[in-house]
Amino acid sequence: MNNRLGIPGFCTVLLALALNNACTDKTDKPDVITGQEDPFPSTYAPAATNPVLLNNATLLTGTGSRLDNTSILLIDGKISAIGREIDAPGNAVIIDASGKWITPGLIDVHSHLGVYPAPSHEGNLDGNEITNPNTAQVYAEHSVWTQDPQFTLALAGGVTTLQILPGSANLFGGRGVTLKNIPSRTVQEMKFPGAPYSLKMACGENPKRVYGGELKQTPASRMANVAGYRTAWIEAADYSNKQEAYAGKQAQGEETDPPLRDLQLETLAEVLRGNILVHNHCYRGEEMAVMIDIAREFDYRVTAFHHAVEAYKVADILAEHDICAAMWPEWWGFKHEAYDMVEGNVAMVDAAGACAIVHSDSAITVQHLNQEAAKAMAAGIDAGYNITRAHAVNWITSNPARALGIDALTGSLEVGKMADLVLWDGDPFSVYSKTEKVFIDGVLIYDRLDETRQPVTDFDLGIIDPTDERL
Amino acid sequence: MRRGIKLIVSIVFVFLTVPVPAGEILIKNASIHTLTRAGTLENADILIRDGAIAALGTDIDPSSAGNVIDASDKQVTPGLINAYTYLGVREISEVEGTDDVSTADEQFSSAFNIFPAVNPGSTLLPHNLIHGLTHAVVAPESNQHVFAGQGIVLQLGKPSSVLQKSAAMFARLGSSSSEAGGGSRASSYLKMQQALADTQEYRTNRHAVMSGNWRDLSLEVHDLEALILVIDGNLPLVVNVHRASDIDVLLALKRQFGFKLVIAGASEAWRVADKLAEADVAVIIDPMANLPIDFDQLAARLDAAALLDAAGVTVLFTGVDFLHTHNAFLVRQAAGNAVAYGMDKTAALKAMTLIPATVFGFADKAGSLEPGKQATLVIWDGDPLEIMTLAEQVIVKGKIIPMASRSTRLRDRYLDLDNEREIFYRK
Repeated sequence: MNNRLGIPGFCTVLLALALNNACTDKTDKPDVITGQEDPFPSTYAPAATNPVLLNNATLLTGTGSRLDNTSILLIDGKISAIGREIDAPGNAVIIDASGKWITPGLIDVHSHLGVYPAPSHEGNLDGNEITNPNTAQVYAEHSVWTQDPQFTLALAGGVTTLQILPGSANLFGGRGVTLKNIPSRTVQEMKFPGAPYSLKMACGENPKRVYGGELKQTPASRMANVAGYRTAWIEAADYSNKQEAYAGKQAQGEETDPPLRDLQLETLAEVLRGNILVHNHCYRGEEMAVMIDIAREFDYRVTAFHHAVEAYKVADILAEHDICAAMWPEWWGFKHEAYDMVEGNVAMVDAAGACAIVHSDSAITVQHLNQEAAKAMAAGIDAGYNITRAHAVNWITSNPARALGIDALTGSLEVGKMADLVLWDGDPFSVYSKTEKVFIDGVLIYDRLDETRQPVTDFDLGIIDPTDERL
Repeated sequence: MRRGIKLIVSIVFVFLTVPVPAGEILIKNASIHTLTRAGTLENADILIRDGAIAALGTDIDPSSAGNVIDASDKQVTPGLINAYTYLGVREISEVEGTDDVSTADEQFSSAFNIFPAVNPGSTLLPHNLIHGLTHAVVAPESNQHVFAGQGIVLQLGKPSSVLQKSAAMFARLGSSSSEAGGGSRASSYLKMQQALADTQEYRTNRHAVMSGNWRDLSLEVHDLEALILVIDGNLPLVVNVHRASDIDVLLALKRQFGFKLVIAGASEAWRVADKLAEADVAVIIDPMANLPIDFDQLAARLDAAALLDAAGVTVLFTGVDFLHTHNAFLVRQAAGNAVAYGMDKTAALKAMTLIPATVFGFADKAGSLEPGKQATLVIWDGDPLEIMTLAEQVIVKGKIIPMASRSTRLRDRYLDLDNEREIFYRK
């Protein structure tokens, strides 16, 4: 498989690990030249830091295990050892974590930080390109304001990775981007190295309300939504075929002009090739089933349904198709398609064997993603399921990592993975517990106990008191 | 354990099948947060008779009670109160016909009362009730006027009902009022000041105004009549306001007219906490609302509730975030977070029980557990502020509430997907 996104060997790595179907089932497609390298490549590189040994904590690994009285060693940005007795290198920073808990860094698969920043006003509402039902050509990263103070608030809540998505006004909202929650001057510096792009799609009420209701154009109905997706995929397949034909001719040494690039079709064609993951805002069960059929018709995969309020109604179908459902614990009622909320949703999807994710879509709850998972766990127990903390933590760590195609790199506490983790001052499923330290690639990015290690955005600086920070 | 399925259903069953008019209930061996001077009672009992608390204490004789609930290892609090919601007047936000919160009507402002719009049949009410929410303040909103009108206090129950038909006058100042003011917050302020001054003038010259022998006032008679309740101190004025400077301005208005002021939203209230305490102004706050989401709220922070409480300000809770209606019960999560960020635990419990009952004038009935008050309470399976704790049984005015909602009914019919043809016969 060729490198089309400037991500050396990323899909190959995943292929080898058999962790991501998005890569595995597309290997028979011929190589073609598409967007060549990512025009906006990640420039992120972790800062140099000493090794860190966190001693004697309770670990929730994100792989289903709870390890008590366990230590974890971070070297060169990676988890280098997990065990009872670990010898630290001489230059290691040693932290006594007795009585404390460690989880993988939390991952929010549905965030609009930076594209819907605080303060919120017309001048920076940059998440929805409400000009056409298909805006697959836009990239959320081009709207990200890196100095959005919501990033550092989420960091204090233990969120180390976020997928920033365009909004849901359009059938095809544009490309989402996966970011490391690193205070940065540029968005490129936040881009998660090796993470594939995503395509944000939206079902249901939003597109038909915005276009049919407000702008008096198509789609004005759910059936037109579906016609809109299919029409676009037909064009994308045609575009992809032309590119492949061109590549074929080139390979045979024929002199021929390349087809004109089309950013919108390029995004969709990359989905058809399995290089871009589909994240589909979809509330209703029957719409999810229709979207699954469309994916089969055009031979692509839906990676995750977001805001999947009715996922519990089709949990078996999601499991059968290996599709994740990203859910809130209990949001409901703002639209009719969000009326049939059940609090057991996350646990019911999980119990059916599908990949269950707790997402935020909120700059408030992203700061308390652990509490969101705790509520979903309590509701699951109330529904009769036996759920442990060690399992529920997957909903905000390894499962979202899987949906983002980065589970080979982060999302769990395993030797060799990125040292993205959170030290909690107590049980992360308690309302009283707070993050104490947040590490990204082994670097201490946030420390609640040390003001000098608490990042302050440009926005926060001197805005209330010229000699002080906002908080 | 599924709520309402194992432990509790047996009790409900007894109640539904055996008519026990004005029956007694005895709750045994609970940890009881009375929120009175009695504090928290351990291994204590509550005797409920005729819908009210008849006795509180240890070793109450079970033989006198028709039903005994063993609440060992359980905790009991008064029913929770969310001090700022749209419960009962909004079913689905995007379905216009089900949403009566806001009016663009220009004729009425302070005379407007949300009461006739209240739907006791709303599915939101059982959903919130079985999570422990038994009362809610319900506010109207207006983009047209500085004064949105009067709100009510809703008693959730089976059935739900309106406890107070006019509980408070609602208004707004600051950037969110600019539209009503014409573009500047100063106009909104002026409109509020003029309305209050005209109300004073109207009250002393009512006859002349009614008979047309008086100058034109800034408001119609129906609105002035409603505001008399405010300037007489009989109806709290709840003003949505965030910026510290706007709160200062509002405090000056209070000094001028002497009304009973409550501020809501109040992201920057902590910055003027001492003044609020001194002026005896209560503050309705969502403790988790820490975003500088507009330039009025730059100083929003997670420990705002703790800072206000420490300064002696009367604090009431709402939240969480925009869910303060559909999931108004999450005020409990908001309270837990207030404690996590430094607020005293009992103060946090009171901020969603006794304090709102007191501020909105129904503390004679609800808000604490003491003999003579309504037996409206919640039996929790653990710490009432802890996130994973569940309401195991809710009792409203002595009546055991079936722990079911449309949401739990949907959940239960989809628990088994193996026989999909049967799903729609499960009732």
